[in-house]
Amino acid sequence: MADVRDILELERAQTPEITKEAILGPEKVKRKPITTKVSKRPEGMHREVFALLYTDNKDAPPLFPTNTGQGYKQLKAKLGMRRVRPWRWVPFTNPARSDGAVFHHWKRTTDEAKDYPFAKFNKQIPVPTYTDSEYLQHLHNDSWSRQETDHLFDLCRRFDLRFIVIRDRWDRARFRDRSVEDLKERYYDICATMNTLKAGSSHDTKIYVFDADHERRRKEQLKRIFERTPEQIEEEQTLINELKKIEARKKEREKKQQDLQKLITAADCQAETRKSEKKLTKKKLQHQIRPRIDPNVVETAGIKFPDFKGSGVSLRSQRMKLPASVGQKRTKAIEQLLQELSIELNPMPTEDICTHFNELRSDMVLLYELKTALATCEYDLQTLRHQYEALNPGKTLLVPSSISGNKEAPRNYVSTESETAKQKGISEIIDVVGSPGTPNLT
Amino acid sequence: MSAGMLYGGDEIGALVFDIGHYSLRVGYAQEDTPKAEIPAVVGVVEDGNSTATLKTDGMEVDEKKTDPSSISSMSDTKYHIDTNFLHVARKGMEVSNYMKDGMIEDWDLFEKVLDYTYAKCIQSESEFHPVLMSEAPWNVRNKRERLTELMFEKYNVPAFFLVKNAVLAAFANGRATGIVVDSGATHTSAVPVQDGFVLTQAIVKSPLGGDYISMQCKNYLQENDIEVVPSYLIGSKEVVKEREKARWVKKRVPEVTTSWHNYMTKKVVQDFQASVLQVSETPYDEKTVSSIPTVHYEFPNGYHQDFGSERFRIPEALFDPSVVQMRGGLVGNTMLGVGHIVTTSVGMCDVDVRPALYGSVVVTGGNSFLQVDYNHSAEQLDIGNIIVQGFPERLNRDLSVRIPSSMRLKLISANGCAERRFGAWIGGSILASIGTFQQMWISSQEYEEGGKGQVERKCP
Repeated sequence: MADVRDILELERAQTPEITKEAILGPEKVKRKPITTKVSKRPEGMHREVFALLYTDNKDAPPLFPTNTGQGYKQLKAKLGMRRVRPWRWVPFTNPARSDGAVFHHWKRTTDEAKDYPFAKFNKQIPVPTYTDSEYLQHLHNDSWSRQETDHLFDLCRRFDLRFIVIRDRWDRARFRDRSVEDLKERYYDICATMNTLKAGSSHDTKIYVFDADHERRRKEQLKRIFERTPEQIEEEQTLINELKKIEARKKEREKKQQDLQKLITAADCQAETRKSEKKLTKKKLQHQIRPRIDPNVVETAGIKFPDFKGSGVSLRSQRMKLPASVGQKRTKAIEQLLQELSIELNPMPTEDICTHFNELRSDMVLLYELKTALATCEYDLQTLRHQYEALNPGKTLLVPSSISGNKEAPRNYVSTESETAKQKGISEIIDVVGSPGTPNLT
Repeated sequence: MSAGMLYGGDEIGALVFDIGHYSLRVGYAQEDTPKAEIPAVVGVVEDGNSTATLKTDGMEVDEKKTDPSSISSMSDTKYHIDTNFLHVARKGMEVSNYMKDGMIEDWDLFEKVLDYTYAKCIQSESEFHPVLMSEAPWNVRNKRERLTELMFEKYNVPAFFLVKNAVLAAFANGRATGIVVDSGATHTSAVPVQDGFVLTQAIVKSPLGGDYISMQCKNYLQENDIEVVPSYLIGSKEVVKEREKARWVKKRVPEVTTSWHNYMTKKVVQDFQASVLQVSETPYDEKTVSSIPTVHYEFPNGYHQDFGSERFRIPEALFDPSVVQMRGGLVGNTMLGVGHIVTTSVGMCDVDVRPALYGSVVVTGGNSFLQVDYNHSAEQLDIGNIIVQGFPERLNRDLSVRIPSSMRLKLISANGCAERRFGAWIGGSILASIGTFQQMWISSQEYEEGGKGQVERKCP
């Protein structure tokens, strides 16, 4: 009826109001004290523990048992109700036995006579049989006598093709000792022959081929691995460690080389951009806003000054602040260089000065890096030369001039602006900070 | 189908005999411990008292009130079987063991023991119970056949089966493949087992067993002027201070034979051995050992003192025979320690099974230290248990040093004293009550058809 009313929208307001009051009104009064009683947490009880309790009580547990069927009492009564089924010590025969021996076991008299339940587990592995003529025709083998083959097949049947056990029980008094692989080879060989004979011309049957040579090799390898002495294992371990070390060193060297290559290219690029830039600046110096160098180069060498785009109002001098990525060593080197060139450490940050100062410092870092790299290279070269001389006494290593560390190479790369003039001073600085063993080639 | 069948078991009332050099364990299959353990040593009195009845049949013994354990034969020889009767001082009673090298040697004595077992322990007719017996893995063909013949011809058993005790021990620990390290009374052996078959070519034995340790203990006690007096000689004793000379009064006993006296003395030494000795977990080192607390031991005559480093030094011979300075016939340096036995044995097996063998090294045996008398207090047995616990741990350590580190090594040993002592018997109990095993028995029909040679074919 409520549905019809809903559809027709008839007196909808009235009826629910009445029922609500009639049904919920008194219940609310009843419920309230209960909830307040329950929701009070006993002193000392953890909140989490109480929460578990409380959720349970939110909807009251059903008071009436829902399962009116079998209670545990009835089940118990039923057990007692059944008649006792007596057990009897009865004889039985086992179909898995060929002799029909009779044993006794306990059995319920009510159980019907069935086959012995464990007889079905009596599985036999099919081992082929051969007749005399078959043997003579197909199975003859020079290294195996008929008796020996018979013995093998007998053992195969007795031990269900456990070849390791078969070999263990091999009649060594009558036949010569054979390896597990020999036995397997002979057995599977005969199996294959018998299978092909039975199958006739059709090649449907799958024939298992036993690769005895492969097995023998595998066993030999296994044995060798197994019989390693602790010293051999240790030696192997040290060799592996040595190899790892060598590889790590190789990687390191490659990485160094790459870094160096990057530096060189960076220097090349910077020099070129500078040259082009110079022409540019000469032409229109006033309109030069921000002559930046190739960004990918700056990443590896020089300083990358952060951009101040859209970061609100800031002092221009902030642009000259060295970023944190420049290490202390480099900062120090920059400072010393600036002092040598008698440039202020913090010049007036006009637009032009800002850019040029930053550029200058970037170049300084690049130069510093290049110098360090050169120093290490020369150091390496020197050590290698010493090693060479130590290994080959009386000989000297002639380094071709193209790679020897004369001063021409770096000068070519960085001979821009005023740095060349101060070359000597800079190299001294680098000697202090860089590798101490730099050979004195100047 | 019965509940037993549900779990793969089917009990047919079989008996399990575990024949060891130290004792014969016997009981019904499907039970967890044997019904009886009878020492393998029998007391024999030649030309005994003429009052004894002249019956060979074991069943007749029951009616005889004077001495139910004594079975007299036609030639007036009395046999005293089982601990209670063996430990009584009797005039002219010689003791002898029917076992030799893990195999039955004296068949007459063995038959007597079987008679006694059926009469007093099983108390049932032999023709109603199939019999499963254990044997040494190196048992020889004629002895196996003779035993089969004996069981079928004399005891008329309905069915018979012989299993190598190493296989049973592996079964008792839930393994069909593994290497069984059995440290028994006369020797310690490593027997590889694959799929329930013993690999007979790779068995390694060493004469370092419980008896060897007993001998070492005896020598040690002699060297330190500690008199070992068997308990049967002691009438009364006084409480003395530690290391003080014992004050005791000798009991009046009939004139006993030296063999029996030695047997009883050995019992005391074995008790000393079980209570005091311990296997050190690392190779013997005077320094570490001296820091371990000493153990107090009181001999039957009242003498008592603390024992320190020797507790570890004597059993060390099991693991490293070279530590013992040699006396007598045994040459320690040429013998193999337990760890060496295991690696040698595995080394002789096929490479493919080696990982499986190292994966389950089953330690079992009337593990030399377990050979304690039953009349001991619980406390002493507990100490014995601690000693035994040292054995597998030490073996584990020795093996892990010897074998390639890539090989997974797992030692299996039952924790309980009884489980390890009766390892092989429990395996037999399990095997004989498995439903699928019931087709394996040599039945009396088969014996009649095929003769005693059946045992070689059917019980590999």
